Amino acid sequence: MTSQEYRPLLLKNIHRPDSTSLSAYRESGGYKALERAVKEMTPEQVLEEVKASGLRGRGGAGFPTGMKWGFLPKGPGEKYLVLNADESEPGTFKDRLLMERDPHLVLEGFLIGCYAVGCSRGYIYIRGEFVEGWRILLKAVEEARAANLAGKNILGSGFDCEIVIYRGAGAYICGEETALLESLEGKRGMPRLKPPFPAQVGLYGKPTSVNNVETIANVPLIVEMGSTWYAGIGRPKNTGPKLYCVSGHVRKPGVYEFPLGIPLKELIFEHAGGLLRETRPLKAVIPGGSSVPILPAEKCDVLMDFDSLAAAGTMLGSAGVIVLDDSVCMVDALLNLARFYAHESCGQCTPCREGCGWYVQILERLEKGEGRTSDLDLLLDLSDRIQGNTICPLGDAVAMPVRSYVTVFRDEFQYHVDHKKCLAEPAPAPI
Amino acid sequence: MIPSKATQLQIDAAIQEYGQARSALLAALHLIQQERGYIAVEDQAWVATRLDLPPAEVAGVVSFYTMFRTKPPGRHHIQVCRTLTCQIRGCRELVKHLEKKLGIRDGGMTDDGRYSLITVECLGSCGTAPMMQVNDDYHENLTVERLDALLESMK
Amino acid sequence: MADSTPEQVTLTIDSQTVTVPAGTNLIEAARTVGIEIPHFCYHPRLTIAGNCRMCLVDIEKMPKNQIACSTRAAAGMIVRTRSDKAMKARQGVMEFLLINHPLDCPICDQAGECVLQEFSYHYGTGGSRFEGQKVHHDKNVDLGPHIVFDGERCIKCTRCIRFCEEVTHTHELGLFSRGDHTIIGTFPGRQLDNAYSGCTADICPVGALTVKEFRFKQRVWFLRNTPSICAGCARGCNVNLGINEDRIWRITPRDNDAVNQSWICDEGRLSYQTYQQGERLGRALGSAAAGGATREILAGSGYEQAAATLGEIARKHGGATVAGVTSGHASVEEQAALKELIERAGGSRIALPIHERGDDDALLIRKDKTVNAVGARLVGGANCTAEELLTAIKTGKVRALVVLREDFLGELGAQAMAARGALDFLMTLDWRVTPTVKASDVALPLCAYGEMDGSVINFQGRIQLLRPGLTAYEESDPAWKPLLEIASRLGGAAVPKNFREAFRWAASRIPELSHLDTPALGKYGVSLESPAPGRA
Repeated sequence: MTSQEYRPLLLKNIHRPDSTSLSAYRESGGYKALERAVKEMTPEQVLEEVKASGLRGRGGAGFPTGMKWGFLPKGPGEKYLVLNADESEPGTFKDRLLMERDPHLVLEGFLIGCYAVGCSRGYIYIRGEFVEGWRILLKAVEEARAANLAGKNILGSGFDCEIVIYRGAGAYICGEETALLESLEGKRGMPRLKPPFPAQVGLYGKPTSVNNVETIANVPLIVEMGSTWYAGIGRPKNTGPKLYCVSGHVRKPGVYEFPLGIPLKELIFEHAGGLLRETRPLKAVIPGGSSVPILPAEKCDVLMDFDSLAAAGTMLGSAGVIVLDDSVCMVDALLNLARFYAHESCGQCTPCREGCGWYVQILERLEKGEGRTSDLDLLLDLSDRIQGNTICPLGDAVAMPVRSYVTVFRDEFQYHVDHKKCLAEPAPAPI
Repeated sequence: MIPSKATQLQIDAAIQEYGQARSALLAALHLIQQERGYIAVEDQAWVATRLDLPPAEVAGVVSFYTMFRTKPPGRHHIQVCRTLTCQIRGCRELVKHLEKKLGIRDGGMTDDGRYSLITVECLGSCGTAPMMQVNDDYHENLTVERLDALLESMK
Repeated sequence: MADSTPEQVTLTIDSQTVTVPAGTNLIEAARTVGIEIPHFCYHPRLTIAGNCRMCLVDIEKMPKNQIACSTRAAAGMIVRTRSDKAMKARQGVMEFLLINHPLDCPICDQAGECVLQEFSYHYGTGGSRFEGQKVHHDKNVDLGPHIVFDGERCIKCTRCIRFCEEVTHTHELGLFSRGDHTIIGTFPGRQLDNAYSGCTADICPVGALTVKEFRFKQRVWFLRNTPSICAGCARGCNVNLGINEDRIWRITPRDNDAVNQSWICDEGRLSYQTYQQGERLGRALGSAAAGGATREILAGSGYEQAAATLGEIARKHGGATVAGVTSGHASVEEQAALKELIERAGGSRIALPIHERGDDDALLIRKDKTVNAVGARLVGGANCTAEELLTAIKTGKVRALVVLREDFLGELGAQAMAARGALDFLMTLDWRVTPTVKASDVALPLCAYGEMDGSVINFQGRIQLLRPGLTAYEESDPAWKPLLEIASRLGGAAVPKNFREAFRWAASRIPELSHLDTPALGKYGVSLESPAPGRA
């Protein structure tokens, strides 16, 4: 199947008028999967289907979802499924689209997931800034409850599942699963030490699985169409449809759905309208949200799936594809990201807390024209001191881009040192 | 200065919903901020008692999350996104324009209390950059013209 | 007895074989073979935080460094604390900690016992590559009645916060803000004012939390530590007296799992101040002739005068009219010597005044504010209350009184004059000039806290040693010496020549102590509940 022939599965409803309503969702075949799951399948069977589908987490880590659910203890006992709707990775805006335009798809997937793992009280943690999404979800949960699709004895199956929606209050770090759990428990969103892992000790100390919105939105599809059909989309170990968020210097930024593995250049040039300005060619692409290594233009002949991007030395991450044309100064861009991580660092552990601020000061010096060549090696060395030594992956998330940009665009950084100004020629802001 | 009866009732409901009183903290703070526009020290002490939490922990939570304010904002609290995509799509020029037009700097408030301005990190709307959030609402695909029109409409 | 030893695991740390109980963390496991894994936020008495990252070690088969504080020793684990990977991480942490840390060493109390200084010296790179603006916070913050906080020095290890949560359960402290502006603090307007606030300064690895009363007073390398016991209440927390130039500058807790873990209350911490106030009694006071004015005399004359007068009163009115006031503030030897003297004079009545304030708390504090009331009871002879004694004095049944380390008359208030008037002879042994001293016929100077050896028994029945770190003031002695001098003039045995002899003498008279000798008491004392060494 070429991308030209591909018909959206996850996004199939978003353009319908009244797409957030239960009736519209049902009209398009919604909640059939839930019915099938709770009436015709056991939780184990649902779990096996998800495992067999090859679905990998869409939040950034790409961990196989079925395996993650399988880590939870079987049998009775309090367990939690938590939906991570804290979408805050720069370049990412797909979960918001799903929640605001097809909330019932998300709810259905979530309910099936709760059924599969044996959770009777599922939590949705949504970032505080998504006020509209929160209101839409609340309404959708009410509708679902009223229609016996959520709450007690769902569809007469005996399966109970309450959905509780919880608002964050502005912290990127709460997208990290253990920080999210801390926040859900009413505390500062500071990540926990692992081990123990959430599957053993999670929300309120109980076994918990935290899953991304887009991941969960795939579940009704898997249950309805079967894992074999699902696994036919994409390629082995990289299965299923994927939402790609394309932003930056493109003509048609937005969320694009394709099977995992679409070529990056096709995504940008054939679907997202190509580069914004004729006279400003492609310089680099961040393929998976700000935390992943950057691809310079000459390395962009790559397929957009987990393993291909890993082989290319970067990551699919959150599939936040940020396209940069040659008006972007890479020192300036990296400084922007360093400031982001410094602002969002929870401050708990030494390397990240102190290292982020140090990065910012070095990059500010470089940007202003007061840097030295030794600063470039210092940036690389600091990345080695931070990566792998922190409590949570935020340290890695800042260290990787720093290492990547300074290595890939070393000439440009050196230019700042030698000439005290940008190599890139700025362009007028496109506003 | 403690939350109104109406807000207190909503906080009671939140405690019921979350099952554990402590989990209702963020919701309670949101509710208080919704009513007052910000969260006063007295509110924090009140919440601590209501949820049976140490006051220092409540204050620690308030200071951790970006959305919680301890000072009153303008009637229209303008939060312009400044992270990478928005930056390369022109947010700095928008901010400069706002600063000039409103006569305030990033972090400031107009004397008449009508507008306050801050820049914030990624709001999850990179596809419609540059953009901003004013109070609860997102305003996307901003241009100077659209911005001016929006400002006009905010009384 | 059932075998309750936990399973042991054997692992390798820096090529050394280590065997420890399963569940031991790597910091403790390494300690057993003398390997130090540096750390800041870990404290054996608090929960694991794992935030400083200083204890990162290299474990074979694990791609990333692991923190030793939260990693449990496992069979066959191979740990390298000094591999390139571990050292690079450690140097990184040191460098990161120092970029925002102020160069306060020249004015910081912590210098000389600062973990950051020490580790910087041992594990740092010797220089910093940081050029920029340090994050600034308020310095010299009045955080509580006894604590000064310097926000810039804080390394956010959160030991102080965990202490207030887990040990005192008072929760005054929290973390505020985020990122590199994170700082510890109290709720606006509130203070760090629990009864153990000084302990936060003990556990703070740097000079962020310091004790007000010690601020700028002494450099710690000038202090010599004398291990002793706090005399503020019946717990007898184990302490170190920080002494220089013959003066106590601070008291800090010593670890003793059985008594005080690693803690001491603020009152005990500052108890040395009591002994630095008021007028000391430095020389014996007596009168040349009966009824004459008291003035300074030689100690020997005081013994003679006391022995003679006590003997005379005993002959005239009967030995039972000689009574004593013992004290929970006195050591076992002193209490035993008082009993000996009273008995030699023919008497038996000895009162033990009660000094209680408040309540026992859930942690260390005892309402009994004397360190050795148990000793007084064990010695025997604490056989009447202060009220009963007063009645006996007023009714003429007691005509001679020997008071040990108590301001007996001072405590009586309005009744003091009548009581004094009813006595033919009043002798007091004390370290300071009290109303009782001033009204005495003979007053003998005693060592104050920190000036003498003495054994004391706490409320748990643990016998511990007070030790001297200060020279005795002027002519002062431990009370057993003058008391036994006088007793010997009334037919008692020879006076012990030193503390050990005094202890053995007292112990031989007390069944519970008769098997003990001073070397056995060591720095941590001995429980009288447990079977004695050498006994079946």
